[in-house]
Parts: sequence; C-alpha cells; structure tokens
Amino acid sequence: MNLSFFDQFSSPHLLGHPLILLSLLLPALLFPSPGNRWINNRLSTIQLWLLHLITKQLMIPLNKNGHKWALMLTSLMTMLLTINLLGLLPYTFTPTTQLSMNMALAFPLWLATLLTGLRNKPSASLAHLLPEGTPTPLIPALILIETTSLLIRPLALGVRLTANLTAGHLLIQLISTASIALKPILPTVSILTMAILLLLTILEVAVAMIQAYVFVLLLSLYLQENI
Amino acid sequence: MPQLNPAPWFSIMVMTWLTLALLIQPKLLTFTTTNPPSKKPSLITKPTPWAWPWT
Repeated sequence: MNLSFFDQFSSPHLLGHPLILLSLLLPALLFPSPGNRWINNRLSTIQLWLLHLITKQLMIPLNKNGHKWALMLTSLMTMLLTINLLGLLPYTFTPTTQLSMNMALAFPLWLATLLTGLRNKPSASLAHLLPEGTPTPLIPALILIETTSLLIRPLALGVRLTANLTAGHLLIQLISTASIALKPILPTVSILTMAILLLLTILEVAVAMIQAYVFVLLLSLYLQENI
Repeated sequence: MPQLNPAPWFSIMVMTWLTLALLIQPKLLTFTTTNPPSKKPSLITKPTPWAWPWT
C-alpha cells in the first residue's frame, strides 16, 4: 500500500515495448512545422510569440558568443514544457519524472558549457573557482568548496526537476485519494478537499512551467560563466 | 521508488536526444519571426517617368 502511490512513476510497458518512447515523441506534435507559404493563424501566432519571448529572456544576460546556444536552449525549454504540461493530464506518464532522463539531459549540457569555457577562455573559467577578495588562509578550503559545487551542478539540475515533478504528482494523487475516501464518511470535508485539489492543480500547472524554465535558465547561467 | 531506477538509461538518453535534435529543433527552426507592427506608413516611392531614346 505504501509503495502503490509510487507506481504511477514506473515506466509503463505495452506488449513488451516501453511507452516512454511514445510519451517522449507525442508532445512534439503540439508544435507544427510551418512552411513558408502558411497563413498565420491564432495558434501559430501565439506559439511564435511564446518562442520569441523565451528566446529573448534567455539571451538577454548572455553576450554575443552565447547566442549560438539560442536554438538549443529554446528547443530544450519547449520540450520540457510540453512534456511537463502533458504529463499533468490524468492517466498519463511523465518522462521528466524519471531521474535517468533528466540526468541524460543535464549532464551532457552542463559538460558542454564547462568544456566551452575551458576550451575558449581557460583562465577566466578557472577563476570562477575562487571568489574575488578571499582572505589568504581561506583560499584552499574555498577552492575545494567551489570545485565541489561546480561538480555537483548536473546532479542538482537533474534531481531538481525530478523531485519537483514527483512531489507534485504525489500530492495530487494523495489529495484526490483522500477526497474519494472521505466521500461516504464526511461529504463536506470531501468537497473542501476537492477545492484544495483544484487549487493544487493550478499550482502544479505553474510548477510544470516554472521548472522547465528554471532548468534552462540555470543552464544559461552556467553558460554565462563560461562564455 | 521506480522513478529513481536508472534501468534503461541508455535508450532513454538516446531517445531523448534524438527527439530533441531531430524533431523539436527542426520544428522550431521553421518558425520565422515577423516584424513588430509599426504605425509609420510605409514609404511610397514615386518613380519619375522618362522617355525612351528610340521613341
């Protein structure tokens, strides 16, 4: 019973095929690939506006060299956003709750930012290991601490997304289970629980968007240090 | 907790990156941003007529 709440996070299989492939591929259908001769409609206009806004927000703090990453970061944001939001539908599986997927995204991208810095301006990116104005006796300890914080970044990036989405889905399931279980005994409390569930769902929609943004924003901040 | 189980991590990684690189990126590249609407009237050019030398 205790474990069954976590069953929603186990990757589903159908006839021996993992359905995580489908849930990775399907969110891409939300975005059409408009040709040159397409007439604008409301959907494509609002998508274009959103993509423009995301790209602008991500590229403002970066300098010109970092603008090559615009496509990478924007498409990553789009993918995470669509997967997170579609995963909030009932009876669907969210691939971004899987730690292996988030680490698979976080680790190579973090490594790319690090290697870009070490390749293009090694002394400047190594200088981030020591904050300016540190008292001399503290230097060895601080370098150790900063190195650890540099190396722990991909782990934190992946775990953050996993933990936030997992917690949200768990809370939704807990409260809805409580609401169903309370219905025969305490109808009033059950209705109140439903109201809380509604509010929580709104919060989770916000969390799904915010966490996708935070993932990409942190990557762009790591990039900013290194470019 | 099954979400922490890294079981088919390699196929998940390959699928994720293939989706990102082959599906989402080409789709986003086809979006072309339009200019923001401006109130200024577009410049109307008035070509001056000339006479052809052979007429």
